[in-house]
Formats: sequence, structure tokens, C-alpha cells
Amino acid sequence: MGKSRRKQKVIPPPQLPPDEDIEFSDEDVKYFKNNKDGAKFIAGIDTGAINRQCGGEVKTVEDKYLEERLKKRPREENEKRSEMEVDPVDVLPIKNLDGSLHYRRATKKSKFAEVDIDEAEVDVPEDEHILNKSQRREKAKKSKKEAKKHEKKLPEEILEDEEEEETPRAAVLAEVKEELSSEERFESKKNRLAELGTELLADPEANIKFLKEMLDLTRDENTKIVKLGLLSLLAVFGDIIPGYRIRLPTDKELEMKVSKEVKKTRFYESTLLKAYEAYLKKLVILERQSEYNQVTTRCMCTLLDAVPHFNYRDSLLSFVVEKISSPDEVIRRLCCHTIRSLFSNEEKHGGELTVEAVRLIAEHVKSYNCQLHPNSIEVFMSIRFDEDLGKRNNEDKNLKKSKKNNKKSIQEEQNQVQENERKKSKQEMMSKIKDEVNADYKRETYEPDAMERRKMQTATLSRVFETYFRILKNTMYSISESSEADTTSNPGAFGYHPLLAPCLDGLAKFTQQLDLDYIGDLMNYLKKLASSSSVSTNLKQKNSKLLTVSERLRCCLVAFKVMRSNLNALNVDLQDFFVQLYNLILEYRPGRDSGIVLAESLKIMLCDDRHQDMQKAAAFVKRLATFALCFGCAESMSALVTLKILLQRNVKCRNLLENDAGGGSVSGSISKYQPYATDPNLSGAFATVLWELSLLTKHYHPAISTLAATVSNMNTSQNQTFLSAVTPQQAFADYSLEKESFEPKKESWKLNVKRKRERSEDAKNVAEIDMVELNNKLKESFTIFRGKKEEERVRMDLQLKKKQSNNVVKKKLKNLKSKKKI
Amino acid sequence: MRPLDEKETTVVFEKIFKFVGNNLKNIVENPSNEGPESEPSRYCFRLQKNRVYYVSESLVKRATNISRKNLMSLGTCIGKYTHAGSFHLTIMSLNLLAANAKHKVWLKPTSEMSFLYGNHVLKGGLGRITDSIVPGDGVVVFSMSDVPLGFGIAAKSTQDCRKLDPNGIVVLHQGDIGEYLRDEDELF
Repeated sequence: MGKSRRKQKVIPPPQLPPDEDIEFSDEDVKYFKNNKDGAKFIAGIDTGAINRQCGGEVKTVEDKYLEERLKKRPREENEKRSEMEVDPVDVLPIKNLDGSLHYRRATKKSKFAEVDIDEAEVDVPEDEHILNKSQRREKAKKSKKEAKKHEKKLPEEILEDEEEEETPRAAVLAEVKEELSSEERFESKKNRLAELGTELLADPEANIKFLKEMLDLTRDENTKIVKLGLLSLLAVFGDIIPGYRIRLPTDKELEMKVSKEVKKTRFYESTLLKAYEAYLKKLVILERQSEYNQVTTRCMCTLLDAVPHFNYRDSLLSFVVEKISSPDEVIRRLCCHTIRSLFSNEEKHGGELTVEAVRLIAEHVKSYNCQLHPNSIEVFMSIRFDEDLGKRNNEDKNLKKSKKNNKKSIQEEQNQVQENERKKSKQEMMSKIKDEVNADYKRETYEPDAMERRKMQTATLSRVFETYFRILKNTMYSISESSEADTTSNPGAFGYHPLLAPCLDGLAKFTQQLDLDYIGDLMNYLKKLASSSSVSTNLKQKNSKLLTVSERLRCCLVAFKVMRSNLNALNVDLQDFFVQLYNLILEYRPGRDSGIVLAESLKIMLCDDRHQDMQKAAAFVKRLATFALCFGCAESMSALVTLKILLQRNVKCRNLLENDAGGGSVSGSISKYQPYATDPNLSGAFATVLWELSLLTKHYHPAISTLAATVSNMNTSQNQTFLSAVTPQQAFADYSLEKESFEPKKESWKLNVKRKRERSEDAKNVAEIDMVELNNKLKESFTIFRGKKEEERVRMDLQLKKKQSNNVVKKKLKNLKSKKKI
Repeated sequence: MRPLDEKETTVVFEKIFKFVGNNLKNIVENPSNEGPESEPSRYCFRLQKNRVYYVSESLVKRATNISRKNLMSLGTCIGKYTHAGSFHLTIMSLNLLAANAKHKVWLKPTSEMSFLYGNHVLKGGLGRITDSIVPGDGVVVFSMSDVPLGFGIAAKSTQDCRKLDPNGIVVLHQGDIGEYLRDEDELF
């Protein structure tokens, strides 16, 4: 109560000292003499108004006294009552005139009241302990009553006041009072809520009627009260909802005579159910108002999470799914979290909700034409599929059968051999059978039927894949549409293909479960998606609707994962995806695209494959070397690692390390390297050399220069057993800019570096580089690059000149010929 | 020796297209560096005594010096017209096909010999296979060390191969480099 008292103290207007007492200091007088303008404002003062405000000193004091008394009275009464209430005998409720029930109880908790009131003031605390809440509820009880009496008296007061004098002072006073009373009302309602909640929790069967009252309280105009009401109802429901589903008795059942207890239970259940329904309806209605948005969503999510077995779960679920891609971050997170927990705690609801949720999400995706937040699909990742479902059961049955047979045979033997002990054996048999029945019963009740679960799983799976395929199809459709008609339509709120990335992730995860017949279609889709923008590169204007490089890389990745997990035995060569990767390496831009995806695809597509086409491997080696020249440390490191692994696997590709170009018979039909070829098989990589490596040995980063040197020496030092412990991904992670502190991390390189002691010494030296040296090195490499560029430019010029001269010569020749003919 | 007429060209191209797909463009536009001309010329197809040859233009010019009756062969023989009038690819076209092949099959070392004796490729002998093969596609057969061994027609799609039993036929044999020994007399 301390706070409210504090607040009730009205700050009175400053009391003016009597005129006679005022003595002006000399300084003040001097000042105003010098600056006569400064005193001008006094002339315009409205003395009358001031007097009105501050004149009636006596009255204010009286008023204050009155107020104090008013406030004290209920408190005193309250104190008296609390003393009275200690009487434990008086448990029965008293019905007031207005019909509300009044429970008397011991109020030993009143000592909490002073402590907790401050906490109660904090609006809508979310994660407070229920204990705290209950405490609040308890002490809230008193003030509720207090308020009721107060309310009755206050209006009279106000009326009187207004009658007395219609001066603005009275108006101000009334306003203040109203404010006070509303605050108090708020307080009391809050307390009432707490009270009811505790009662309900203490004995839900007896106090089930309070639910209704609590619901009534949520009809308040005050948003805070409503929010508090909703939250406390949530807590109550969470605690008192039983662990089973309530089925209302049918008319026939109602007609039948039942015992008192059954009646009681029925009444309890039906009241609970009605209240629950009303509560949900309330939530749905309030949800439309923006200020209740978060609270209602939180309530629904918590309910769904806590009691997924209870009635009306379907409507709850549909609501939550509806919200799953809400633009509000908090709501979306809540919903996603709830659905995730639904998926991961299937035993709570027996898996039925999983099927339902997946179905709803699938429909949601369909109705929104795949323009949703990625989170809404990401939740599928937490679904678990148990492949061994049902298998175990069958085995069990088989075992049981054999056991039974054994028993029978044993029994027969016993019968034949020992008739005396027949009774004993019979008893044993009986007990055994009982045990068996019990065990069976237990298993049946705790675990839903395996076949049933299997069915549900199949349904879930088909929905999930249906959604995934829908997204793929939709993406394909939008791409083809955009390439045909160059419409620059606005992107959705979530970008162009918001669902593609999580969809691809999901496909990669659940690929084990995918039917083999669909794999062909899936691969076709992925192929088309991966190659989607290669057509548009000719067009100058970039079509933003097309997939980004990382998305296309992801497509390739998923294709590989699908193949790897399903067709492992066959060793299929995914040529088209290699072609895509080959081209995507050129299109990669460090800032725009995700380097992690690139590194992962390098790892999975190039490093993990046991056997590579020779031509293809050479083409990739060459392109990766070129790539390593152009980009930052992390990218070139991962490229170099891949390159090294490729060279280790394919001995013939080491021809690229030789000085003279041209692989002889190996090089195939293409006699000249074509750097811009789109097909790795037709690039003629064997006709060139890896001159990039010698440039890379002068790279400013010690690790890269070391690695480049190792690779370029690979051919000459034969008896090296290369242990490549690093993967491109790891390399990328180690050397990506965020981690980069220019002290090369040696952990992953120790193996390689140790082998060559000089190299490691080199690296150490470089590690303690100073800026001057660094600058020199940078300059050096820069001049090398520039020199190369200039050389190329000169070469181009020369070629142009040659061509021109050739053309001139030809023209001359032609002229000559035509002249001759003439 | 004469250029192919329109009907013959379509037949030949269709046959090659089965094996190389869109890479057919590369075969036709492949620049040749034969002869003394500084400008690279192209390759073209020529018919000579029921056989189709893939020849560079500079060679064609020079071959005109020899009469049809006396001209045995020029360039690369890629196929021949049978008595019935259908066109068959011969093993000499293997290099051309292998460089541009779209569908490939790699054989395990153990089954290489069987294929080189003229047998079909069985599932058991399959070391590796490109994806998206459709029955009826032309397939080039390689050894595991990327040496082209021959070519044939796919009998099963890549997906079906998975379910196939080890004795099922994957590629129907059309030509293999064993023919250079077996049919030495008939080849030219």
C-alpha cells in the first residue's frame, strides 16, 4: 500500500508568505533598478487567478484532511477484517447483495503485500514465477473489496464537490480524484485477478466457477487489466487442465442415473470446457486488435505447447500456423518455437498434431503462393521420422509366438511326466499369463499402435514433400515467367524466393525418406534451377527474380546429397551439376554470395568424389587456380585446398604443373585452352599450365604462399605422402575475414608445415611481419599483376594489328584475284 | 567422294546427336589446324563408297586430286551405309564421340575384357554412370582410367539401374575397340 499512499499525496500549490514578511534584499532592489525591463512581467500578472488558486488556504487543508480520512477508513476496515478473517472456521462464502461471492480466509500473506506491491506495478511481467503471481493475487483480494466500497463513496464526493463550487479548482480536484480512483480500481482488479487465480489453483474442483469471473474481468477497458487477466487465465488453465480430453456426456448419458461424484466431475468438466472455449474465443477476438496481438499469441502458443492433447487444439493449431509468417518478429518466433516443440515432443499428443500442423502449413504455403517467411518452412527440420517403426513390433510378435509354442510344448511334457505337480504348474501358468497380459496392456496404453504411427508418419512425410515440391515448382514457374516476359514485379515482403533456401535444406535432410521414383523428378527440378540464370547472362539487365549464385550452388549441393544418400551403390556421375559449379565459380562475388556455401560445395562435389573424370578434373584445377588469384584469403585458401586434393587424386592432372603446355595425347581434341568455356570437358585445360601457382607463391598471406609452393612442388618430390587433413570448408572458416588477425593459424596446417621445416620457418618469419615489409610485398604483387595486365593488353593490340594486316592482305589478294579474273 | 545430301545429313546427325547431344555443334564447328593455311578451316562430312568421313576442308581440297575409284579413305571414317540403307556408326568414330560424349559409363577393370570381346555391359560391371540417361540414348563406354573403350545404346535409365539385378543389361553393345583386331579385314 506504500506506493498508493505516496501517490495520493497531492502536491499543494506553493504557499505564499504573507505580504508583510517579504523583505527585499539590497541586491535585488539594485538589480531591478538597473534593469527595469526585467520587472515588466510583473505588471501583466493576473493576481486574481493566483489568489483563486492559492488564496483558500484553509479549505485546502480541510480537503486534504477529508481525503486522508477517506483513504484511511477503508484501510482501517480492511485491517479489522483481516484480523477477523484469521478465523479458520468461517470457510463458507458469503453472498453480497450484488451477487458476488465473498470468501473469508486467513490472510497470513498480508506481510507479502507490502513487499510485492512494487512488483505488481510492473506491467505484464512475462516470465515471473507463478509463486509471485499467486502472492499478488492473494493480497489483491483485499483491495478489490476496498475498491468496491470506495467506488460507491467516491462518486458522491465528486458530486458534492461539483455542487459546492464550480470553480476550476474543484474541477482540478475532481480530476485528481478520478485519476486516483481509476488507479485504485486498476489495483483492485489486479488483486482480484490474483485472488481468483490462487483460489482456483488451490482447489480447482470446488472453485471452478471463478473461471467465469476471471473471464468477466478480461472485458475491462483497461488494456493492462485485460492483458493481466489473459495471462493469469493462461497460468490457471495451464495448471488445471487435466491430462485427458474432455468428452461432454451425451443426452443419453445425462438421462442415466449417476452417483454424486460422477455428477460433480461432469459439472466440473463441462464448466472447465465452457470457460476454456470462452477464453479461446476471447483470445481470437482480441487478437484482431493490435495492442493485444503479442499477448494473445503468447497465450495461444503457450496453451498449445502445454496442453496439446486437450479439446479445441485444432483451432489453436490453425491459429498458430496462421501466424507463423507474421511480419512481427516476436510473434513469428513464438509460433515457430511452439510448432517446433510440437514436432519434437510427439509423445504429448500422439503425433496427431504433427500431421495436422504439417497439413495446415502446407495449405498455408499453397494459399500464399509460397510468399512466406523462411521460418515457416524451417520448422519442418525438427520433425523426426523413425524408420524402424513397426519393424520392432513385428519382431516382438514373432518372438512371442515362438515363446508361446515353447510354453505349450513344455506344458505338455509336464503333463505327461508329472501329473502330481499339475496344480502347481497351472498356478504358475496363471500367474505367468497374468504378467503377460499386464505387460501387453501397459505397452498398448503407453505406446500408440505402431501401424497407426506409421500411417501418420507417411501422411506427414507426403505433406512435407508436397510442400517442398510446390516451392520448387513455384520457383521454377516464377523464373520461367520472368525470363519470358521481363516484368519487373515487386518482390514479396520476404524477397523473391524466400522459401527456397529452407526448402533445399529440408530436402537434403529428409532425402533418405524420399521415394526413389521421385528422385528423377527432383533431380530434373534441381538441374533446371541450378542452370536457371545461365540464359540471362547474355541479357545486360540483371533479372533480379532469378536465383542468386548461392541459391544455385545450394541446388547443386542438394542434388549431390540426394544422390549420395540414395544411390550410393551405383556411383552416378552428376555431370550437369559439375557444369553448373564450373560456371558458378566464375560468377562468384565475395561480398554478394556466401563463401561458406561455395566452400561446402567444393568439398562435397569435388573433394568427396572418389573418382573424377580426368578432363573435368583438369578443367576444375585450372579454374580454381584462376579463382584463387582473384579473391580474398579465405576463398583462395579453400580453392587451393581443393586444387591440391584434386591433383593428389588425379596423377595425370599433374601434367599441368609441367613447364610446357600441351598434354599430348591426353589433351583430347581441343588444342587450345578456352578459359571461358562453359563445359569443363571442352575447356581443353590440358593445353595450358598452372602459371597461377607461381604467382600465388608470392601471395602476401604466408599460408597461401606456402601451400601454393607445396602444390607446385608436388610433381618433383615423389615420395611425399600428402595427408590432407583440411577441407575447403575448414580452410574457409579459418581464414575468413572475421577471424583473420594476420597471425596465421597453424593448427590446421601443422601437419603440412612440419613436413617442410624451411617452409615453416618462412611462415614464422612472415608472421612477424612489419608494415614496411608488408607494403613492399603488396607493391610487388601489385606490379606483377599490372605487368601481367599490360602484357595482355599489348598482346591483344598486337593480335588486332595482325588481324587487320591480315585482312588488308586478304583484301589485296582478293582484289588481285578479281582483277585477274577480269 | 561427295557431300551428303539433305536426307543423309539428317540421318547422320541424328545418329551422332544421340551420343553427343548439344555438343554436336562443337563437332561441326570444330576448327581444324591442318594444312598450310594460317586461318583454321572447318571439318565437314563426306560420303565415299557408302562410308561417311569426317574430314577437314583443306584435306577435301587436296583429295579432289584423286579419282573416286582410287580413293580408299580420307580423314576419319565415322560410319557406313549398310546394304539395307541404314546408317551405322563404326568404331573409328569413337574418338570423336568420346570427346563430346554426353552420357558416359565407366567399366570396372574386371568387366573391361568382356566388353572388348563384344558383349553387352551388365549392371555388375558398372563402375560409374552419368545421371539422367534415358533408354535409347547413346552411351560412350570408358575404362576407369578414362580410356574410351566403345559405345552402345542405353537399355535402362539411370534410375532403373539401381533396381536392376547384377546380370541385367545396362548398355547394348554397338562398337568396341576390340573390333580393330577382330574385324581387321572388314574395317577398311
